[in-house]
Amino acid sequence: MDSWVIAMMLGVSIFLGSIAVVTLMWAIKKGQFDDEEKFLNAVKFDGIDDLNDAANLERKKEELKKKEYRPE
Amino acid sequence: MIEDEGHYFCCNGCQGVFHLLSDEGLDGFYDKLGGNKLAPPSEQYEDSANFDSPAFYERFVSVDDDGFHEVSLIIEGIHCAACVWLNEKALTSMDGVVATNINYTNNKAKIIWDDSIVKLSKIIDMIRAIGYNAYPYDASLQEVKADKERKEYYMRIAVAVFATMNMMTIMVAQYAGYFTGITPQIKHILNIGEWVLATPVLFYSGWPFIRGMYYGMKTKTVNMDTLVATGAILTYIYSIYITVTRSGEAYFDSVTMIVTFVLVGKFLEVLSKKSIADTLDIMNHHLPNDVKTIEDKKVVSKNVNDVAVDEIVLINAGERIAIDGEIVEGSGTFDESSLTGESEPVFKRVGENIISGTVSIDADVKYRVTKDFAHSTMSNIVALLENAMNNKPKIQQLANRLSEYFSTIILALSFFTFVAWYLYSSHFEQSFMISIAVIVIACPCALALATPVATLVGLSMASKRGILFKEAVQLETMANANVLLLDKTGTITKGRPQVVHEEVFDSFDKVLLFSLLVNSKHPVSKGVSNYIYSEGFEPFELQSFQNIPSQGVSAMYEGKMLAGGNAKLMKTIGIDVKSESHNSEFYFAYAGELLAKYELFDLPREDAKASIEKIKKMGIEVIMLTGDHQASAKKVAELVGIEQYEYELTPQDKAAFVEKLHERKKVTVMAGDGINDILALANSDIAIAMGNGSDIAIEVSDVVLLNDTFVSLCDSFKIAKKTFTMIKENLALSFVYNAVTIPLAMAGYIIPLIAAISMSVSSLLVVGNSMRIKFGYKG
Repeated sequence: MDSWVIAMMLGVSIFLGSIAVVTLMWAIKKGQFDDEEKFLNAVKFDGIDDLNDAANLERKKEELKKKEYRPE
Repeated sequence: MIEDEGHYFCCNGCQGVFHLLSDEGLDGFYDKLGGNKLAPPSEQYEDSANFDSPAFYERFVSVDDDGFHEVSLIIEGIHCAACVWLNEKALTSMDGVVATNINYTNNKAKIIWDDSIVKLSKIIDMIRAIGYNAYPYDASLQEVKADKERKEYYMRIAVAVFATMNMMTIMVAQYAGYFTGITPQIKHILNIGEWVLATPVLFYSGWPFIRGMYYGMKTKTVNMDTLVATGAILTYIYSIYITVTRSGEAYFDSVTMIVTFVLVGKFLEVLSKKSIADTLDIMNHHLPNDVKTIEDKKVVSKNVNDVAVDEIVLINAGERIAIDGEIVEGSGTFDESSLTGESEPVFKRVGENIISGTVSIDADVKYRVTKDFAHSTMSNIVALLENAMNNKPKIQQLANRLSEYFSTIILALSFFTFVAWYLYSSHFEQSFMISIAVIVIACPCALALATPVATLVGLSMASKRGILFKEAVQLETMANANVLLLDKTGTITKGRPQVVHEEVFDSFDKVLLFSLLVNSKHPVSKGVSNYIYSEGFEPFELQSFQNIPSQGVSAMYEGKMLAGGNAKLMKTIGIDVKSESHNSEFYFAYAGELLAKYELFDLPREDAKASIEKIKKMGIEVIMLTGDHQASAKKVAELVGIEQYEYELTPQDKAAFVEKLHERKKVTVMAGDGINDILALANSDIAIAMGNGSDIAIEVSDVVLLNDTFVSLCDSFKIAKKTFTMIKENLALSFVYNAVTIPLAMAGYIIPLIAAISMSVSSLLVVGNSMRIKFGYKG
């Protein structure tokens, strides 16, 4: 086996691995693992209802933002 | 059981919650609950209108960029994922609530809402209506900082672990090549691969050490960081040199290994560090921000800090008291459980003092302020607590102390080696390489691992026995402890009086006495009724039942008066009794005739005596501290075999006593249960919450005993001592190892194979030795 094959395999595997690590770091930074329990429980409760709720909440927030009068 | 359309409820509270959820379309909660059982919703005394006061908004509520209001709350009563779901669902269904995020792990919630549509009090009411309770906390900088630090460590460890794992696969090829032959070309490629992996580990994951070394140099101190950083950096430079010149063996693997191992050890310390902020949050919950004062016959709302002594403050039912004072008008019952730990409401009338931190249950009273806010009881306790927690004595860890010397010696030896070899051979490159080899071989892995591995094993041993150490370093502190302070009521004793002596003057139907007591919640009444109760007791129907505060209970049966209580009550109904006993006494009279007398005593726990004996055998001095009077203190102390006891102590006295011990260079462990012990707990080196400790006591404590027995208290001392012995052995092992290998390295005899084996073996020895705790420990 030529040594360039080794170099290429090594390079590619380190590169792919680092993409995974960077993704993980990004997720940590975004706070996706702050609540370890919820992270696991989310799987149980992830239904259409919950998605709808999230969408409605987003809509509600946008509507309230558009309101002209904003008491501080 | 209450039946309601095919559903069964344990109480009205649960029934109410069920109907509310059904009406809101949230009854899916019960399906999500699965096998989890719910506790009935607790009664809320405090009025939610307090949450709308300007002072509250100023302190806890912030406005975000979009103009929405934001508050951080701690939600009480969350015990499963379904609870989180229910709270989030119920809150987001409210008009005006924009976002809710509840953290299941620490029960903290962030709620964002539009204040022009819904007020915070309404949001709190909703949380209470579905059976939970919420109180605000200041998501202060401290907590944000601690979170950030933790996240940073996660990221650094992710990089380090990833690189180390990949490094290992390359090393397999390297070592195989070393024995079976490898072409220089492939070896070079592998070295470059290692170089690529080691670089981020050293400069990103290893940054805390490099930073530590920099600060160490600035303050002219040598620490563990210095050794780790110099070792890693020099090895890294050496390996680059080898890779570029294609001569010898590179040691990029040791760079990543050192950094990864030591980083994980350091992370364990950061992870378990408890935040003072969290504790004070719970404490602050006991204090409102504003009060209603009466000026010119008008009620004015004032910030607590602006109220002066002698002003008149108005308190309504359901409000929490912020400032100490004396009642001038009205009377009623107060919940003082947050101060005394006693759940029995206390009746107060004109002329009596009311204390900050307590809650008025049904009292609408006016009181005259006797102390300003900053000097009121609860503020005092908060201030003292904050002070104590910030200045908590920290015993420097043995490994840290040793590493200081170790690092200095290794660095000096390395320098000495360089000079000696240079003078001897006048060959700069060779001398430099050998001097680096000395640092590399003195791999601090074993030294750095000595403590964390042993503590990890010790912690897991302890947790299997229901003993939770909040910080890893506490094991070492506890092992060095030489004084154990014990609170009396609720810690040594069971905290509830039991009948120890019965005297019947005239035979009577015990069901009659039982019927009288069944309505009273007083601990003494409960003690007597537990004593006389036997199977099949059906209480009679009594008329005009009366609870006479601090005296007892009375009622009418078939037109005659039943009375049960202390000597004072007997006197008021015209029966003269002599009280001589040190125990609590309970008299029972029917139709003006004294029928029986019961003596009650708060007995020590069953396992107390034997365990205290064992603890004393370990060479630990045991002292009892109590707020109770001398006679009762003496009796309990004798029963459990404690020679030294202090009595009639206030919470501040207890803390001062701990301080006095510190001055005598004693390392103290304090076990207590209530707010009255809290200052002493916070001041002692190790605090242990025992009994049904109040939230705040558990929060302040360093060790939590889950099964709450003296046997676990004794076990925690044993495990701590065992672990500490193990740490010392580990350190000795790593020193012996270094003593053998360093001279070899200085003499220039270290070949790569020995270096590699030496590093792994020394670490393995340390890990292996620590595992012995498990086998060596006999319960």
